[in-house]
Amino acid sequence: MTDLPRTQHIVASGLVAAVGVSVAYVSFTREPAAAFLFPRIISTVFVVLALLTFGKALLGKTRVGTGLDREAMINIAPGLAVSLIFVFWAAHALGFYTASTIAFFVLLSLYDPAPHGELKSWIKRILITAGFLVVMYGLFARLLSVFTPREIFF
Amino acid sequence: MKNLIASAAIALTALAGGALADENYPERPIMLMVSYGAGGATDFQARIVTMTAGNEDALGMPIAIINKPGAGGRVGWNWFAGQAESDGYTLGAYNVPHFIAQSIEGGVSYAADSFEPIANWGADPAVFVVAADSEFNSMNDVVDYAAANPGKLTFSGAGLFVGHHIAALQLEKAAGVKLAYIPNDKGGAGAMKAVIAGEVLGGVNNLSDAFRAREAGNVKILGVFDLERNDFLPDVPTLKEQGFDIDNSSVNFRGVMVPKGTPQPIIDKLAAVVPTMFANGRVASKMKAGGSPMHIMTRDEVIEMWKAREVALKELLAGL
Amino acid sequence: MDFLAYFGDVFTPINFGLLLIGTIGGLLLGATPGLSPTMAVALLIPFTFKLEPAQGLILLGAAYTSTVAGGAVSAILLKIPGAPANIATTLDGHTMAKKGQGARALQLSFLASAVGGVFGVLLLIFLTPVLAQWALAFGPSHLFWLAILGVTVIGTLDSSSVVKGLLSGCIGLWLATVGFDDIMGAQRFIFHDAVSGGINVIPALIGLFAIPQVIGMFAKGRRSLDAEILTVERHPISMAFGEVFSRLRALSIGTITGSVIGLIPGVGGQIAGLVAYDQSKKMSPERDKFGTGHSEGVIAAESANNAMVGPSLVPLLTLSIPGSPTAAVLLGGLLIHGIFPGSDLFDNHPDVAWTFINSMLIGQILMCIFGLYIAGLAARVAQVPNAVMAAVVLGLAVFGSYSVQHSMGDVYVMATLGTGMYFLERFGFSAAPLVLGLILGPIAEANFVQGSMIANATSSIGSYFFTGPLNLVLIAIVVASVGYSVWQELRHRRLSAQEKVMAKKDAIT
Repeated sequence: MTDLPRTQHIVASGLVAAVGVSVAYVSFTREPAAAFLFPRIISTVFVVLALLTFGKALLGKTRVGTGLDREAMINIAPGLAVSLIFVFWAAHALGFYTASTIAFFVLLSLYDPAPHGELKSWIKRILITAGFLVVMYGLFARLLSVFTPREIFF
Repeated sequence: MKNLIASAAIALTALAGGALADENYPERPIMLMVSYGAGGATDFQARIVTMTAGNEDALGMPIAIINKPGAGGRVGWNWFAGQAESDGYTLGAYNVPHFIAQSIEGGVSYAADSFEPIANWGADPAVFVVAADSEFNSMNDVVDYAAANPGKLTFSGAGLFVGHHIAALQLEKAAGVKLAYIPNDKGGAGAMKAVIAGEVLGGVNNLSDAFRAREAGNVKILGVFDLERNDFLPDVPTLKEQGFDIDNSSVNFRGVMVPKGTPQPIIDKLAAVVPTMFANGRVASKMKAGGSPMHIMTRDEVIEMWKAREVALKELLAGL
Repeated sequence: MDFLAYFGDVFTPINFGLLLIGTIGGLLLGATPGLSPTMAVALLIPFTFKLEPAQGLILLGAAYTSTVAGGAVSAILLKIPGAPANIATTLDGHTMAKKGQGARALQLSFLASAVGGVFGVLLLIFLTPVLAQWALAFGPSHLFWLAILGVTVIGTLDSSSVVKGLLSGCIGLWLATVGFDDIMGAQRFIFHDAVSGGINVIPALIGLFAIPQVIGMFAKGRRSLDAEILTVERHPISMAFGEVFSRLRALSIGTITGSVIGLIPGVGGQIAGLVAYDQSKKMSPERDKFGTGHSEGVIAAESANNAMVGPSLVPLLTLSIPGSPTAAVLLGGLLIHGIFPGSDLFDNHPDVAWTFINSMLIGQILMCIFGLYIAGLAARVAQVPNAVMAAVVLGLAVFGSYSVQHSMGDVYVMATLGTGMYFLERFGFSAAPLVLGLILGPIAEANFVQGSMIANATSSIGSYFFTGPLNLVLIAIVVASVGYSVWQELRHRRLSAQEKVMAKKDAIT
C-alpha cells in the first residue's frame, strides 16, 4: 500500500469527524433544548463512529475504499469545474436553458473521444446538444410547466 | 451606421417595453406558492380557485401551484418574504391567523407587513372533533373532563401557532382549564387520523376536513370556533352558544398575496381581477362539492382583517 | 364481488385510452429523475378537471401505478432511483446492467412489479375493511419502532464496513434535522439560505446518486470509443418469467412486506423496498451474492414497491385519511368532483370506486406488458458514450431537482451533497444508508415527540412505548434484526480469520 490512499483516508475521515464534532457542539449549545433532543442523540452516535473511523485511518487499518489516484483526479478536475460553475453560477445568472446548452457542449467537447480536429465530430456534438435541449424544453417547460429562472436572452 | 441606428432602435423599444410591461401584465404564466403540501386543504382550494385564471375575462394566463411545505407554513412564507421575486409573477397563498401568529411568536423572517394582500377566497373555521364512539357529546362534556383531569385531555391539531393552536389556546383561556395539545407533523390530515384512531381523545381540525370525516361516519363535531354557525354544519353550535367566550380569531382565512415591492399597477390590476375570478360560478360549485366554505374579500377588506387579527393575536399570545 | 360488475367500464374506448396514456406517460415520467409518483400525480390533476370523475381517477390511478414501476428504469440503467422507493433496486439492478444484463434486470423488475402490484390491488379489493382497522392500529409509538427497525437495516445495507454504513446513516439522520423542526418550528442548523427549508428528500436523492455517477464518468477521461462499448445481452422474456417464478422466496417476501408496510399511514412506500430487500437478503441461502447483480435483490425490491400501491390507498378510500402524500393528491382529485372517500364513495358512487380500483388492476398488467416491450430497447442506454451520458445526467439532475419546488436552493443542495458523496464513496461510505437516514429521521423524531407528549399527559413514556402487543412485536423484530446482523458479522470475521490462517499455512508449505 502506498502512502497516498492512507493520507487520503486520514483527511476524509478527519473531515467527517470534524463535521460530527461541530454538529455535536451546535446541538448541545443551542436552545430550545426540546427541539435539539434528537440532534443531540444523533450527534453523539455520529461523533463516536466518526472518531472510530478516524482512529482506524490514523493506524492505517482502513480496509474499504480505494481512494483516488492521480490520473482520476486530473481527469475529474475540468469536468467538475465546469459542472460547479454551471450549477452554482450560470444556471441562475444566465438562465437554465442557456447555461445548460453551454455546459453540455463544453462537457461533450472535453470528454467526447472523437478527434477535435475534424469538422464532422463538431457537427455531431452540436446536434447532440441541440437534441438534448429540445427534449429538456419539451419536457420541463411545455409538458410540466416548470418556471425556470428568466434567461438572459429571452 | 445603419447597424448602429438599428441597434439604437432596438434598445429604445426594449426600454419602452419595460415601461409597458406593467400594462401588459401578465405576459406569461404566473405561479402561486402554497406553503402546505400537495393534497392538503389549502393546496386543494388554491387549485380550484385558480383554475379559471387562464380565461380571457380573468388574467388570461394560467396560474401554476408550487408547493413549499414545512414547519406549519414557515418554510414557504420565509421563502416568499426573502427569496421570491416581486415582479407580479410570483403569488403566494396566505393562511391567517397562521403566518401572523408565527411572526408574533418570532423565529421567522416575515411579518404581516412583508406581504401585500390581493384577495381572500375562503374562511375555514376550526371545529372540535371527537371519534364517533367517544363518550363526549358536547363541549361541556370535554371541559368537565378536562377540569377533573387537568392536563390529561389530549387533543390533536395541525401544528404550533396555526389556526388550530390558536383555537386551543382560546379554549383553555375561556374555559379556564389545562389541556394537552398534541401538534401533528402531518397537518390537518395527520391530526384527524390521530382522532379517528383513538390516539388522542379529541382534536381541533378544519371544518372542511371534519365535515368530510363526519360524512364518512368517523367523527362527531362538537363545536365551531366562529361567531356564527356554518352553512355546512347547521346543527353544530358555536363555542359561544355553549357558553365559552371565543371569537373568530382562529378562523382560517385563505387568500392570495404578493411580496412587498411588487409594482403598484400590478397590485391594482390583481386586486381588481382576482376577486371576480374567485366569484366564477364553476369555482363556487367545485368548492361547495369539496366541502370548502368560500368567503370572498377584496384587498381593502383583507388589509383591515389582517390588522384586526394582528391586534387580537398579540393580546392572546402575550398571555403565554 | 362488486368489482366484477364494473369490469366492463374499464374497457370503454375513452377509459381504456386514458388508462393507456396514464400507464405509458407514467412510465416515462417515473423514469425521469426528480419526478416522484406524488409529483407526477399532482401534475396530472389539472387535466382531470375536464374529465368525468371515473375517467380522471383512471388516469391518476394508472399514473400512480406506473410511475412507481418506472422509477426502476433509471435506478437500473443509471443508478439514479426515480423515487425513494427504488433505492433498493439500484443495489443489484444497476450491477446487473453494468454486466450487460440491463434487459434482464428490467424484465425481472417489471414482472416482479406486476406480481406485487396485482397482489396489492387484490388485497385492496377483498380485505379493505379488515385492513383499515389494521392501518389505524399504528400510533406514534409503533411508527417510532418501525422507523427504528428501518435504522437497524442501515448498517448492513450497502457497505463493506458496518461502521461506515452506520456513519453514513448518521450523516443522513443529521441532514434530516436541518431546517425548521416540523413540530416546534425551531430553526436548526440553518447555515445557509439554501437549506432554510430543510433538505428535501428528492433533490438529495438525485444528488447523492446521480452526481457520483457523473463524476465517475469524468474520471474515466477521454477514452477511445471502442474501449467502452458494452455488449447488451438480449434476454428472452420467457426466461425472465421462469426466473421470477423460481425465486418464490424473494417474490413472496417482497410482496408481503410491501403490502404490510404500504398499509401503514405515514411510513408509506418509501422504505418498503429497502426493508423487503434486507429481509430477503437475510433469509436467502445465497445472501453473499446480494449486491453483485443477484436477481433476488431486484425481485424483492420491485415486488415490494408495487405491492404497496394498493394497500396505501386503503386508509384513503375507507376512512378518508390520506396515508401517503400521493394518496393526499388523489384525495384532491376525488374532492374536485364532489366525491368524498369513505362510505359515500362506495355507496353512492360505486361505479367510480370500482372502475378506479379495476383500472389499477388492469394498469399493473398493461404496465408490465409495455415495460417488457421496452426493456430490450431501454437497456441500450448502457451503450450511450460516457461523455454524452455524463452531460445528460447532469442536465437532468439540475432540472429535476429544481422542478420539485422551483427552488435554486434545492439545486445547490443537490450538487453539494452529490459532489461530497462522490469523494466519500471513494473512502467506503455509501449513499443508500445516508438516504435511508434522511427518510427515517423525521418519522422517528416526529413520532417520538408526539408519543412522548401524549405519554406525558396520560401515562408514562415507559408504558406508552414499551407495552401493548404491537409495540412488543415490533421491539422483538428490532432486536432480532440487530442480533442477526451482529451474529452474521461475528461469523464473517471468524471465517475470514480462518481463511487468513489457511492462507498463511498455504504460503508456508
